[in-house]
Amino acid sequence: MTLLTLRGITKHYPGVTALDAVDFAVEAGTVHALVGENGAGKSTLLKIVAGAEAPDGGTMVWEGQPVTSHSPREALLRGITVIYQELALAPNLGAAANIYLGMELRRRGGLLDRGAMRAGAAAALADLGLVIDPDRPVQELSVAQRQLIELARALVRDAKLVALDEPTATLTAHEVAHLVAQIEWLRAKGIGVVFVSHRLDEVRRLADSITVLRDGHRVWTGPAATIDERTLIRTMVGRDVVFERCPPGRPAEPAPLLSVQGLVRGRSIRDVSFELRQGEILGLGGLVGAGRSEVARVLAGIDRPDGGTMLLDGRPYQPRSPADAIRAGVVYFPEDRKRQGLVLGMRIRENVTLPTLARVARGGLIRADAERDMAQGAATRADVRPPDIERRAGHLSGGNQQKVVLAKWLLTDADVLIFDEPTRGVDIGAKTEIHRQIRALADAGKAVLVISSELPELIALADRAVVMREGRVQGEIKEPLTPEAVMALAFRSA
Amino acid sequence: MMTAPQSWLTRYGVVAALAALSVVAAVIAPGFFSLANVSTILLHVSINGILTLGMTFVIITAGIDLSVGSLLGFAGVLVAGALTAPGLIASVGVAGAAVVAVCIGLAVGAAVGMANGALTAYLGINPFIVTLAMMTIARGAARLVTGGVPIGFPPMGDAHFQQKIAALDALHAFGGGRIPIPGTAQGFPLPALVMLALVVASAVTLSRTRFGRYVYAVGGNEEAARLSGVPVRAVKVGVYAISGACAGLAGVLLVGQLRSGGPDAGMLYELNAIAAAVIGGASLMGGIGSAWGALTGALLIGVLNNALDLMGVQAFWQEIAKGAIILLAVLFDVWTKRRNGGSNP
Repeated sequence: MTLLTLRGITKHYPGVTALDAVDFAVEAGTVHALVGENGAGKSTLLKIVAGAEAPDGGTMVWEGQPVTSHSPREALLRGITVIYQELALAPNLGAAANIYLGMELRRRGGLLDRGAMRAGAAAALADLGLVIDPDRPVQELSVAQRQLIELARALVRDAKLVALDEPTATLTAHEVAHLVAQIEWLRAKGIGVVFVSHRLDEVRRLADSITVLRDGHRVWTGPAATIDERTLIRTMVGRDVVFERCPPGRPAEPAPLLSVQGLVRGRSIRDVSFELRQGEILGLGGLVGAGRSEVARVLAGIDRPDGGTMLLDGRPYQPRSPADAIRAGVVYFPEDRKRQGLVLGMRIRENVTLPTLARVARGGLIRADAERDMAQGAATRADVRPPDIERRAGHLSGGNQQKVVLAKWLLTDADVLIFDEPTRGVDIGAKTEIHRQIRALADAGKAVLVISSELPELIALADRAVVMREGRVQGEIKEPLTPEAVMALAFRSA
Repeated sequence: MMTAPQSWLTRYGVVAALAALSVVAAVIAPGFFSLANVSTILLHVSINGILTLGMTFVIITAGIDLSVGSLLGFAGVLVAGALTAPGLIASVGVAGAAVVAVCIGLAVGAAVGMANGALTAYLGINPFIVTLAMMTIARGAARLVTGGVPIGFPPMGDAHFQQKIAALDALHAFGGGRIPIPGTAQGFPLPALVMLALVVASAVTLSRTRFGRYVYAVGGNEEAARLSGVPVRAVKVGVYAISGACAGLAGVLLVGQLRSGGPDAGMLYELNAIAAAVIGGASLMGGIGSAWGALTGALLIGVLNNALDLMGVQAFWQEIAKGAIILLAVLFDVWTKRRNGGSNP
């Protein structure tokens, strides 16, 4: 029986088409896997299923009835539960209170029937193989246990469709095995399961059918048994490279400027080694959560490593703060411009000169003319349009904001530049311009590290790539740098 | 000068409100614009104005300083105690004792402020809690030092009666002094001049110095500032030290004015300072505010009180009016922000 049918679902966000006429169907008692690169539209599709987002076009049919209104509450009442990667539990409440959140059992008179909720929660959890004190605050439980609590919530609600967004991303092998068994049990009970995962081995083991999304389009749907892993990867990434490759204008220096050996930090960086040379662009590939940004943050002095060595120009490099790193000549272009890159209420001029204000100050007093000249020069070099440095950063487009960050760091004259998702949320014209500028920096003898989840960008920019997965470097790719080669390393099963 | 568009509007809105209020007051009470009355207003505004300046530095970094009223009281009793210590007068003379007392007031204020800043910046404790605790500690310390009674004017028959009176008079020349203006009986009050000088100094600091730029950057986006190499912690310690020093200076001026340091002096002054800063356009969300705004906010409260006094309105109504003005100022801010598209969170 078909539980849910989506036809021609379209969703636009400002500047992006997240989903373009996507068809998707879930059968009762089956597991339907949803795969694709970052940004392919998986999360948007789940949000539409959950009622958290309304599609701009398309139709939805639930158990044979056309759906006209689908709010989160209506989705729950229909029997749809979506379990997001960031679990939606109240951390200070126990399992019982969380499982019955929003549908509390009450005695006559309105008081909570805590005994009944505790018993109901314990029963649902026991079905899922989890024996815990239902009053223990869930913040004291592991991620795997919290996931099972969310599943128990679906059981208590008599859910007919359960969707899980990358449930295994942060689990250990043992926990994954347990979760897979629970999903198989749900399937046997006749529940329809939507399973989003980057681990293709799991997908192929668990799923009955697979849908591949790419750039908001559904590119393939079929039985899991009919597709092998290589074909699956090719289907996920197989698009034309939209960026022209920027060839290097000079060979890289033979000796590394920055070398990282055995870097370790918590669970996110487990073992990372690589070398970065002047005149080259090194791509750092991998999936979101692979630990790439974490490595960048350590290099930029934001976080301190637990172990490993870093050498800059042959000397030990141990930045204690971003200011330290900037002094040493290492600057970081953060992933989230609005939160980490810019002071949105300040003018372009004030943002651009923030790290280098000492240069135009005398005895603490800022020389206004010198500051203006310095900021104007940098803004012009970074191609901020229009180059009006008195505009406020918050009023600029994404591309211009990124150029302001670029102007800011150009002024520091750093030797090592780390770009984290340099063109996220930037329109295509500005992207090409930013790529050109990054290449120009490498050609000018800078050592450049680029993190990008957009494979075509990584391929177009990087001279070689180091690919990470789960906190470890999986391998290095020199020539030829192809999407398939990067994906194979990023996805390689454990 | 670093001001967001909506605070530009807000600032001139408050200036317009101040002007309108002054005109109304002048019509109802003809003596309003007399030199005597204007200097009285400025004298009354000066203590709150100085506290508001310090508070504005803190608020621009998205912080808050609840300890300034108590700190004023604590610094004041130490100032009065030092000033009337016979040993000090004997060794450095009356004028010397007054100088030492002023230095003690400033140093104590700055030191306690630095402690506030360090607890906030290095231990990551919420400034509301840190300064709330410091408010209680400073008030308790002031009462402990004095035994609960004001220090200052000596009892008849005190062994050092003459020296103590002379020392109090010396400080009174600062805290209660007036600069003669030809053709008037009263002259211009010195504390008001101190406040105006501090407004200018603060305006220059905020708009023309690296430190000032960092203050706005920390309040506008602390994370981006840190990643740009701004010494965020040092900036925070700096603004709380400035706020504390302002409280210490206000304590000195009050002791000079009253010739006495009371352990309960400055009660609830922190709230007046926060109110004046917000009326003057400072945003509790950080990143926005100015020294001229602080002055305008403090003046608006002062003129309102004075005008209602002249009209013979009961003091209780004055409190209600002040509350209404705070709400209006914030509503105006919200309104202008919405009109500007709310681009500036």
